[in-house]
Amino acid sequence: MNARALDRREFIRRSALTAAGAVIAARGESVGAVSLPLLQGSGGDEVVWDKAPCRFCGTGCHVQVGVQDGRVVAIAGDPLAEVNRGLLCVKGYHVGKILYGADRLTTPMLRRGDGHVPITWDEAIDLIARRIHAAPDRFAMYGSGQWTIGEGCAANKFMKAGLGSNHIDGNPRLCMSSAVTGFLSCYGVDEPAGCYDDLDACNVLIMWGNNPAEMHPVLFSRVIDRRARGEEILLIDIGTRRTRTTDHCQEYLEFRPQTDLAIANGIAHQLLKNGSWDTDFVSKHCNFRQLDPEQPANMYGKPMTFDEYAAALEPYTPEYVQSLSGVPAEKIRMLGDLFGDRSRRITSLWCMGMNQHTRGTAINCLVHSIHLLSGHFGRPGDAPTSLTGQPSACGTVREVGTLSHLLPGGRTVANEAHRRDCEDLWNVPQGRIKAAPGYHTVLMFEKFCTPSDAGGDIDTLWVQVTNPGQTLPNLHKLFNRKADLEGKFLIVSEVYPTATTRLADLILPSAMWVEKNGMYGNSERRTQQWFKMVQPPGEARDDCWQTIAVAHRLHELGHEGMKGNDGEFIFTIRDERGQIVPIWQWERYYDVNVDRHLFEEYRRFTRYKNKDLAPYDEYVRARGLRWPVVEQPGGTWRETRFRFAGFDDPYVTGGAEIQFYHSVTKDDRALVWFRPYEDPPEMPDAEYPFWLDTGRVLEHWHTGTMTGRISELRRAMPRAYVELHPDDARDLGVQRGDVVRIESRRGHIDLPVWINGRGSPARGQVFVPFFDETRLINEVTLDAHDPFSRQPDYKKCAVRVKRVPPDGQTR
Amino acid sequence: MSEDSPISRRDMLRGRVLGPLLGGLRDAAASRLKPLAPEPAPSGAPPDAARAEATSRYAKSFPILRPPGAVEEEAFLAGCTKCNACVEACPYDSIIHAPVRFRRAAGTPMINPVGQPCWMCADAPCIASCEPGVLRFDLPMKMGVARIDETTCLPWMGTTCTVCSEQCPVPGAIEVRAGRPRIIEETCTGCGVCQHVCPAPGNAVILMPMAQRPPAPPADGRGATPASECNADEPE
Ligand code: SF4
Ligand code: SF4
Ligand code: SF4
Repeated sequence: MNARALDRREFIRRSALTAAGAVIAARGESVGAVSLPLLQGSGGDEVVWDKAPCRFCGTGCHVQVGVQDGRVVAIAGDPLAEVNRGLLCVKGYHVGKILYGADRLTTPMLRRGDGHVPITWDEAIDLIARRIHAAPDRFAMYGSGQWTIGEGCAANKFMKAGLGSNHIDGNPRLCMSSAVTGFLSCYGVDEPAGCYDDLDACNVLIMWGNNPAEMHPVLFSRVIDRRARGEEILLIDIGTRRTRTTDHCQEYLEFRPQTDLAIANGIAHQLLKNGSWDTDFVSKHCNFRQLDPEQPANMYGKPMTFDEYAAALEPYTPEYVQSLSGVPAEKIRMLGDLFGDRSRRITSLWCMGMNQHTRGTAINCLVHSIHLLSGHFGRPGDAPTSLTGQPSACGTVREVGTLSHLLPGGRTVANEAHRRDCEDLWNVPQGRIKAAPGYHTVLMFEKFCTPSDAGGDIDTLWVQVTNPGQTLPNLHKLFNRKADLEGKFLIVSEVYPTATTRLADLILPSAMWVEKNGMYGNSERRTQQWFKMVQPPGEARDDCWQTIAVAHRLHELGHEGMKGNDGEFIFTIRDERGQIVPIWQWERYYDVNVDRHLFEEYRRFTRYKNKDLAPYDEYVRARGLRWPVVEQPGGTWRETRFRFAGFDDPYVTGGAEIQFYHSVTKDDRALVWFRPYEDPPEMPDAEYPFWLDTGRVLEHWHTGTMTGRISELRRAMPRAYVELHPDDARDLGVQRGDVVRIESRRGHIDLPVWINGRGSPARGQVFVPFFDETRLINEVTLDAHDPFSRQPDYKKCAVRVKRVPPDGQTR
Repeated sequence: MSEDSPISRRDMLRGRVLGPLLGGLRDAAASRLKPLAPEPAPSGAPPDAARAEATSRYAKSFPILRPPGAVEEEAFLAGCTKCNACVEACPYDSIIHAPVRFRRAAGTPMINPVGQPCWMCADAPCIASCEPGVLRFDLPMKMGVARIDETTCLPWMGTTCTVCSEQCPVPGAIEVRAGRPRIIEETCTGCGVCQHVCPAPGNAVILMPMAQRPPAPPADGRGATPASECNADEPE
């Protein structure tokens, strides 16, 4: 049988599940306009088209994937997708090529001396299971917002309900967790109330330390398009560095790092002073809040009266804010006037600038608070909205709860009722889930990189779908030290060699993107689904299968945790005839749609916090649906665009205009916070006089593991650089292309200088992108983190900059 | 480099060096668009008979992207000794030997910007190394002119891209308005950097080598053709 015939069979089989006929028919109908899935009758050379969300960023564009002869041969923007309406960014147009880099990992490899030797999958799975079995408490798992929902569900259940361990965390800890603590502190429930539709309705768009022109280009295009059509929209960039976004903004307010808190307080101060805050909205829907000095670790703080709130804001006059931030007092007044004007529709956007911040929770709370205080909330276009960087940071990590303190559906391990709930839903014995949170990312890697006899009580670490060897802050301390330690075992499931596989003891080759079934959840609560379209190369296999296979091997070794209440293996899946399908055997894994089963199990967790998800098949038909997705009387399913708003959210009761139904204070009110400005932990001084800011570039997605394999993107953006202010460059005596050394108290790297290039930092500041695995800026960054979210601050630390004499290279 | 796209004879006959045509992956977005650039219009009216003769002679041949400061093509072919000096002098390995299919020009120095463009060194070591003097400092460093295909260029299609204008080594050659690049033909030297870096599916930059370069100037250095006149033959 030739390869194509096998693939065709695979194509049909993957949908030949219970509702196969219905699924295909429904899909044909939903994509009619572009005559896509040719599931039947596609012979010979025809290209078979199917939908999938883009593999890269949290925007969550849909692409159409063309497959021919078992290979992805074409990519097009999906005109039926509401998110992108047929448009893609430069990465998205090339996304198909990520599968075909020359150095794909295709066999399990075990460390032998300085190198790796191939081993079989059976050996690899057995080895992992035996290490875990010997010391389950010393095992941890680290995943990402690129885990599919199914993969996250499997890993979370395996750890928390199987091993009874909460040592599972994910890289959204490094990028999203301050947004999470911000939403929780203000509304009692995670994730934005608004959605991308706000971008079509707002007439003021404020970007807080945000560069969507490069990081969420398709969303930004949506706004720029409106302007091109003649609509009036005021774009305001509040940032520390001029970016490609700034080029399009009418206002650019450049602030000193960390002083975004002062600016937000300055806006609140103006609203009170001018009497332009929304007294009606606040009196009906808000309470005032501050941290409790007696319980500083309590993120939910304690109440404060309006008078106390006003008194706390008293110092934040425009002049005082100017003295802290460098933003002119009249601009603070301008922002105050904008927020004070209820006829405006104001959307705030933010991403890493506010989240990767040692005061990340605080600044998130403050931006929500000025929206609440001014009543710019709950109407289309009036929304404080955080964006995510990864395709499923929301879907898999925040919603499935694959962090060390979370359980699925917005529950926490510390809450006894939540644990009981989850034990019941997972059908495992009471008491299986531990109450103490596991290690968060920074702590997990610190423990892994500390000798076992010196308190380093994580000995085996399994990393899936992420590259911590490049993305952790302060890499020498949190990652590189592993190389010299005895008895530590690093397992990495990957698709290409990375900075992380470099130190791996066991490398597992993984299937990626459309080589497997999957689901993602994007920034706007939109859950998306796709089917496997091509075979993974060599022996690469799904991460989800890897987890289940290890769980089953542990089951065979007699680990009690791998059994549920019924005595059966915790990942037991039956076919229509009631027969158990041995999905832990790779040959049988696609006999059923494991993703569908895991999703249907997980779906039952989502009602509790009104994050309801629809049945799997609804997502097969749709280009994603935004939760809560609620069943309608006719049996159809309706998504929700504006949460807490009576006109759209089905969970708002009694005809209320706004109802914060998961309110921290249990009175349907959101919290308006006061949080003071405080200095960051490390600031430039005589020895290290520059601020270092790090971030991404348009052409590369995060660490470049995928985009670095696309020649067009590599040629467009071949390597990292450092941006300098022209005056600083002059003082240092350097020009474009000269090499400088960036050095902090933790490490140093050498980089070529770029002046007035992609971005332009303020005087006294340098910017370095982190995509380049040959120049790891995270050997320089600081591991200080927010006390509530535990998210490190990659955006500011102190460095010095020195010219490096030319090495003979002129470019 | 293995990812260099070979220049096919057909492309050369069409008188241009194209960007990579989507190896393996045929992007539907790109195939919807024209994979090849529009045919260049016939040369503008030649100012005199000699020029007309030259034009018709070249019409049978095809322009080739020479290193900067190259003399008129017949003189170049007559004078270049294939000594390899410019190839070795270029710090970026931008200069390659024209392959056999270039017939008469085979073995002479040329640039294929998709592989490596000319980065416009201020001191032009290639010119400095040319003993026979067919690369000359007293001629403009004008190799050709780039054009942006507005049906493929990402900002013209509505998404962000700024790579070409950021990387262009010639100040003022690419102007960006409302996020969209435009080539200023008088200033553009045809170095090909924009084509090299363009990440648009199918490449949005079309590079036209100079159809007619100025003859070698007389010994007193006069005679270099002004850039504006060079452009008279460029299609619009
Ligand atoms: S990388 Fe992001 S913006 Fe670009 S196409 Fe993919 S999802 Fe859309
Ligand atoms: S100017 Fe410089 S980069 Fe261009 S061909 Fe000459 S030596 Fe090479
Ligand atoms: S690099 Fe290419 S796609 Fe990008 S702006 Fe320039 S011509 Fe357009």
